[in-house]
Amino acid sequence: MDEPAPRLTLPERLGRSLALIALIVGGFFPFVWMLLTSVKTEGELQKFPVQYLPGSLNFANYAQVFTQQPFARFFFNSLTVSLLSTVLAIVVAAPAAYALSRLNIRGRGLLLTLVVAFSMFPVVSLLVPLFRLMRGVHLLNSYPALILPYAALSLPVAILTLVAFFSAIPRDLEAAAMVDGSSRVGALTRVVLPLSAPGVVTAALLVFVNSWNEFLLALSFNTRLDMRTVSVGVTLYQGEFAFPWPLIAAAVVIATVPIVILIAVFQKRFVAGLTAGGVKA
Amino acid sequence: MAQPTRSQRLHLQPSAPRRSRREPSERLLAFLLLLPAALLLCGVLLFPMLTTLRDSVFANKLTEPWAGTPFVGLKQYAQMIHDPRFLQALRNTLFFGVLTVGGSFLVGIPMALAAHTPSRVRGLARVALLLPWAMPPVITGLIFAWLFNGQYGVVNDLLVRTGAVHEPLRWLSTPGLAVVALVITVVWKTSSFVALIVLGGLQGIPRDLTEAAQVDGATRVQSFFRVILPLLGPSLAVAFIFRAISAVQVFDIPYTFIQQAPAQGLLETLGVYIYRTSIEFLDFGYAATLSGALFSVSLGITALYVRFVRGGEG
Repeated sequence: MDEPAPRLTLPERLGRSLALIALIVGGFFPFVWMLLTSVKTEGELQKFPVQYLPGSLNFANYAQVFTQQPFARFFFNSLTVSLLSTVLAIVVAAPAAYALSRLNIRGRGLLLTLVVAFSMFPVVSLLVPLFRLMRGVHLLNSYPALILPYAALSLPVAILTLVAFFSAIPRDLEAAAMVDGSSRVGALTRVVLPLSAPGVVTAALLVFVNSWNEFLLALSFNTRLDMRTVSVGVTLYQGEFAFPWPLIAAAVVIATVPIVILIAVFQKRFVAGLTAGGVKA
Repeated sequence: MAQPTRSQRLHLQPSAPRRSRREPSERLLAFLLLLPAALLLCGVLLFPMLTTLRDSVFANKLTEPWAGTPFVGLKQYAQMIHDPRFLQALRNTLFFGVLTVGGSFLVGIPMALAAHTPSRVRGLARVALLLPWAMPPVITGLIFAWLFNGQYGVVNDLLVRTGAVHEPLRWLSTPGLAVVALVITVVWKTSSFVALIVLGGLQGIPRDLTEAAQVDGATRVQSFFRVILPLLGPSLAVAFIFRAISAVQVFDIPYTFIQQAPAQGLLETLGVYIYRTSIEFLDFGYAATLSGALFSVSLGITALYVRFVRGGEG
């Protein structure tokens, strides 16, 4: 939307600038504050009034994050679990979304409603039965113990987003391909699929972020230290009574970096996805 | 936006001349395409949920293995409505819910308006909008626990520097203040979501409408309240229902705060109480009963959503 900006009066421009500044400062400050905290020394932190800028850049905390806990392993676990959850969710959601947006299905509205209902299941209510299920099939402390629930929990969001994107692709294109002698599957792979690539990317991003951020199931199912994910890993630095904040801050920064990068690169896709589907927070 | 697109889509359904010979194969294809999703949803979400509902009428305490798992009918439900800890958790959840859902709209709508107006920093504004939404909730909890730290927290620093208070406040270990800190944290985290849904709504409003209102002599404020806000109705309703659902289920952030200040009964939400009942007290039977209660509330809000969407389609 690059229309010329409407002419604003001075107070309006002032108001808009203030709102934008508040938005940008408010959104970034907590993360920036962790960044600053992570390069301070314990001594610099224990000052009041607060010392805002570090005296020197102290990266020892970052080194300690990796030596005090197997954080590299946590990171690898999170990456593996999130990527595989994303692949599984998309592979399952795409055909379902295609069927829901393209085929003449009786009870289509009811099916979409059911999908929404699934997105509203409280995860904490599933904790015990899922735990027993995973224990029953000997999957505790394994990647599938998280991949299966993450894919399932993100599936409604992925389906609704993809349905919105697929439905925006004109049916005429597909019909034309089919008139030209293409089969339905051919029309799907040669016409619909390439056009829906942005939708698939958007849905994949939403699933990845959900999986990277999940805490409760990761906390409860994968309790062996070498199977922990980063969202649980960042909580492992606090002692019974002590909170080594520079260390926690460094771990928090490392754990958030992938999210920040994804957001910065794919901001438009995220906005498109969230506004298209009416997706869960 | 979800709702208008949905109804639009319904009207776009072509009434394609159905060739009856193709019908069975198309139905079979639809079935095959939907099957994997149905299996995953039923196997990993629906089946465990039904198990929870079944378990809620059986006693099952891992700390009393000799008692076995006898059928107790609605006994645990009766226990629940007389359980002061449950009632407290329910009150906390509803109280947080009202404050955080309301707060996220008060903050989110202006955020959306700010991000919507064209400006040179639009990309940056969009990232600032997305960051709180995408931040892992448990990390948000940790960050804000540090911001609200009772001794060296930056919130205290700003309050003391501006002269609002003389002594640093012990945010997380003072019951009333801990609630305030939790509400601020959750509002920071969730306003983005409201803002993004509203932004979607704003992008769907043709500029002509507001311009026409202004040509007719309306001020910007008037055109906001008379033209834009009514058109945002569907987006606001969708945002409200999704926020309400996530509010009654809130777990990660209160859980992190309680780790920092263990004795805070006011911070225990329904989600946290269910977690503790299952994992810490190992009372699987009663946890299932509590889960049943939470599920019913969620289902109620879902029904509201369905009614709303259906109403829009009709």
